[in-house]
Amino acid sequence: MKSIMVTNNVRCLEKWEGKLQIDYNEEWTYLDVLLAARDYIHRGYFLLTHPLAGSVKPNQTPFKSIILSEESLEGAEDFRDLTLIEESIEAYHKFMGNRALPEWSEKSAEDFRTIDLSLMEGVMANPIMNRR
Amino acid sequence: MKLELGKIYIRDVQFAEKTYVEDGTLYVCKEEIEKLVLEDERLTSARVELARPGESVRISPVKDVIEPRVKVEGNGAVFPGVIGKVGQVGEGRTHALVGATVITCGKIVGFQEGVIDMSGSTAKYTPFSQTNNVCVVIEPADGLETHDYEAAGRMAGLKTAVYVAEAAKNLVPDEIVTYETKPLLEQIAQYPDLPKIGYVHMLQSQGLLHDTYYYGVDAKKFIPTLMYPTEIMDGAIVSGNCVAPCDKVTTYHHLNNPVIEDLYQHHGKDLNFVGVILTNENVFLADKERHSDMVAKLAKYLGLDGLLITEEGYGNPDTDLMMNCKKVTQAGVKVVIITDEFPGRDGKSYSLADAVPEADTMVSCGQGNLIVHFPPMDKLIGTMDYVESQIGGYAGCMNEDGSFDAELQIIIASTIANGFNKLTARTY
Repeated sequence: MKSIMVTNNVRCLEKWEGKLQIDYNEEWTYLDVLLAARDYIHRGYFLLTHPLAGSVKPNQTPFKSIILSEESLEGAEDFRDLTLIEESIEAYHKFMGNRALPEWSEKSAEDFRTIDLSLMEGVMANPIMNRR
Repeated sequence: MKLELGKIYIRDVQFAEKTYVEDGTLYVCKEEIEKLVLEDERLTSARVELARPGESVRISPVKDVIEPRVKVEGNGAVFPGVIGKVGQVGEGRTHALVGATVITCGKIVGFQEGVIDMSGSTAKYTPFSQTNNVCVVIEPADGLETHDYEAAGRMAGLKTAVYVAEAAKNLVPDEIVTYETKPLLEQIAQYPDLPKIGYVHMLQSQGLLHDTYYYGVDAKKFIPTLMYPTEIMDGAIVSGNCVAPCDKVTTYHHLNNPVIEDLYQHHGKDLNFVGVILTNENVFLADKERHSDMVAKLAKYLGLDGLLITEEGYGNPDTDLMMNCKKVTQAGVKVVIITDEFPGRDGKSYSLADAVPEADTMVSCGQGNLIVHFPPMDKLIGTMDYVESQIGGYAGCMNEDGSFDAELQIIIASTIANGFNKLTARTY
């Protein structure tokens, strides 16, 4: 099953490079990751993870990772993924409209990378992610 | 299962040479707590401080809040599989120090968050301004990895609560409340003419700082299951969630789940409270599909007429909430959802991250985007280093006198989505 992770989190790249296709760009903002995921959905990919994973809000964490695949694991209705990513982009703008992302210290930024990595680790531990 | 909850009412907390309760005052031995917490070599410092209702005290950043409870009769021990042995709980008799809590504070991560004001204009938004709090401020060993620090902090709070609760073991309770749920067929037969109502309790389960445990099992690793409502009163569910202060369900809130409490109050009168379905909020969409199918299956299998659903968190969990709502409704069971909202500062944006047509009946727990003013406090337990960066805060929000303005979502449990708080929304 051909899966791809879009991410701006270098820890995810370090962990899964070579094991999973990774579309990584450290210049990407949280929004850029959502938009990159949306591009893949437009090209026929399916979401495997929820774009708003994690209780740290879009105007709090700089890091986001999303996994998509050429094959869906569910019987979701048409346009479900497109709707989900668009709603996530809307949620991003709503939070950013309240308050901009703080200027984090490197220590805090690293903590956010650790949390994002942990969210993905939970997903990657699923046996179906290692299906050949 | 039948559980007698013996409530010992606490009206004050003081330091003393040993830990005991007398005439409604909880006396705690600071040194014994500090020694107990520091048995874990992952922590290098543990400082105990007290915070009482009405005091000019601010506590931040808050990790977890726990009500001290101890089993007096019946199988098992409180917090099974985490502190106590893993044996089944929910029966017999348990004593609770009602009006007392243990609160853990510490910066597990640089942006850690959660404020409790014991007095002033923002005290009303959290229940812990009215409890007598034993605060344990922890510091980690140098270079301690974040997962280890979270685990150490979680254990520190639970161990302290168990230690303090021992003081309740041999006391005569001020009040005993009895809760009983019979096995399914007997329960249905007990009130055959009343609607059969269940409760779907969604547990936070996304990863580091976002986890919950059922008998010590990580909720992201389980599939939907049934629980007797009394199990939660013995700490079968423990929180490992310490992000998003306003709607994180503390261990205290699990022990005192308000939906379960209210369903029991109606039980036998206008409804038949049949039991609880536990489920999770995994990030993997295939898990959401599988688990919402299973929740609907269990709801129909139990023969329910209706059920209430609560969630924990925002965004990702809203999708689980909607999937559960849709599939349960389509299975022929009526659904009411209970959740908090994030409609933006002007209150006009769409307030949940997802929606389905079946979600037509909802109880709101209020919104977390409202800006409120936090007056200065005389004493701080913990640290205010990062208020400007805490969720709900913003650059320039702190004033020189120690007051600040921030969104309601910075306050512990202010909009908690199981309905424990006092905020709501009305339509006109």
